[in-house]
Amino acid sequence: MPMTREAKFARTLVELADTLVVGFDVVELLTVLADRCVDVLEVDAAGLMLVASDGNLRVMASSSEAMRLLELFELQAQEGPCLDCYRTGKPVVNQDLAVTNGRWPRFTSEALAAGFHSVHALPMRLRGAVIGALNLFHVERGKMRQVDIDSAQALADVATIAILQHRAALQAQILNEQLHHALNSRIVIEQAKGIIAERQHLNMEQAFSTLRSHARNHSRPLVEVAEAVIDGSLSTSSLHHTGSKGRS
Amino acid sequence: MAGGERRLRILDLLIGCGDTALCTSRLCEVCAQVTGMNGAGVMLMSGEVPRGSLCTTNEVSDAIEQLQYVLGEGPCVDAYRQDWPVLEPDLANPQSPRWPAFCAQAIAAGARAVFGFPLQIGSVRLGALNLYRDRPGPLTDDQHADALVLADLVAQSVLVLQANAPANTLAVELEAGADLHYALHQASGMVSVQLGVSVGHALVRLRAYAFANGRSLADVAESVITRTVRFTATGDEG
Repeated sequence: MPMTREAKFARTLVELADTLVVGFDVVELLTVLADRCVDVLEVDAAGLMLVASDGNLRVMASSSEAMRLLELFELQAQEGPCLDCYRTGKPVVNQDLAVTNGRWPRFTSEALAAGFHSVHALPMRLRGAVIGALNLFHVERGKMRQVDIDSAQALADVATIAILQHRAALQAQILNEQLHHALNSRIVIEQAKGIIAERQHLNMEQAFSTLRSHARNHSRPLVEVAEAVIDGSLSTSSLHHTGSKGRS
Repeated sequence: MAGGERRLRILDLLIGCGDTALCTSRLCEVCAQVTGMNGAGVMLMSGEVPRGSLCTTNEVSDAIEQLQYVLGEGPCVDAYRQDWPVLEPDLANPQSPRWPAFCAQAIAAGARAVFGFPLQIGSVRLGALNLYRDRPGPLTDDQHADALVLADLVAQSVLVLQANAPANTLAVELEAGADLHYALHQASGMVSVQLGVSVGHALVRLRAYAFANGRSLADVAESVITRTVRFTATGDEG
């Protein structure tokens, strides 16, 4: 017995969730999404565009690698339903290409030449943030059923949440690494100060100014000089304290 | 109380209380106040070891942080390592035998119940929030829920503040009330020269000396820096 649409849809959600658990990969997630739109929602082609850091839409995944289809996505960095959908954050659905000629002249003629007659774009958005659009194509003219539009939007929503979560996690990871780096840098500098203070009979302030003037005079980062003092590659006898000597 | 409402109520306390946008100087006070505890502290960890504390509300919470820093054991260290809240409602009668050195000294310092909550954002771990009370007893569900929200907000605040700091530098807002044991690291550098050993080894010797003489690590570090304690290969002289 063939699977019902509901069962296929449910299976697709599980499949999307699975791609999130093991080694998240945006392209893989979006490729699964594009493929399932074709399988489950009976569209003829599907693709996903995400906005890049330069503010332009880039094609991230496509249900087919056919050059004509890929070109249709590429084109939409300039004009087309995806760009409109991305800019407004609203769905652009049931566009009959036979009658939209004025809206997207270049996109429309290329799409018709590729054999498509109906096109839809659904926003990938979470609250205020729109990060891209899901693009669906039909060969036949005619309207997509609302239930199918809703299903496609639901799949796009799942992918959007996953991508935004992943970005937030990456950002947090980078900041955390910077934090630990800052903490470690400071520790290394304090340790080097102690070494210089002991070797040259200086107080901590004098030891620090010795370390800092060496770094400045040799145009090396302070942390790097401190590390060199600790690992012994920079002998403390080559460091010179310029102010008055004294024991703290 | 709904989760969103709880978060808003706590955010309200954290935002705009004076000097900085996120109220870092009062971060720990807010944590203690919201949960109705006697005190709170925020410990930063890196790798598997404590790095120091961002803030503490009073001497007892400071002692709890210092003990975990020196001993490398305790509820915050475990909360961080296990990615899970670690609750000890009665240090005098622990539910499972753990942290033998920590428990006795934490009680002596004035704590009876200690609760550690990991500071984490997704898989990113920063440290732990530590709450204490001078009487035994578990957290109520409400206090527990508040602590989880607080830990999340503190973790986010730390990263947001650090985001604006220059490379290799700790954000000034974080630095302000923090105890990151700078004197101890200076002393480690000095002792490494005195003994001709690595700074890591020197730190171990400092810890051993503090433990053997019943002195705090900060106190010993200060003595080394002021040159009233000197380490020699044959033994330590005062």
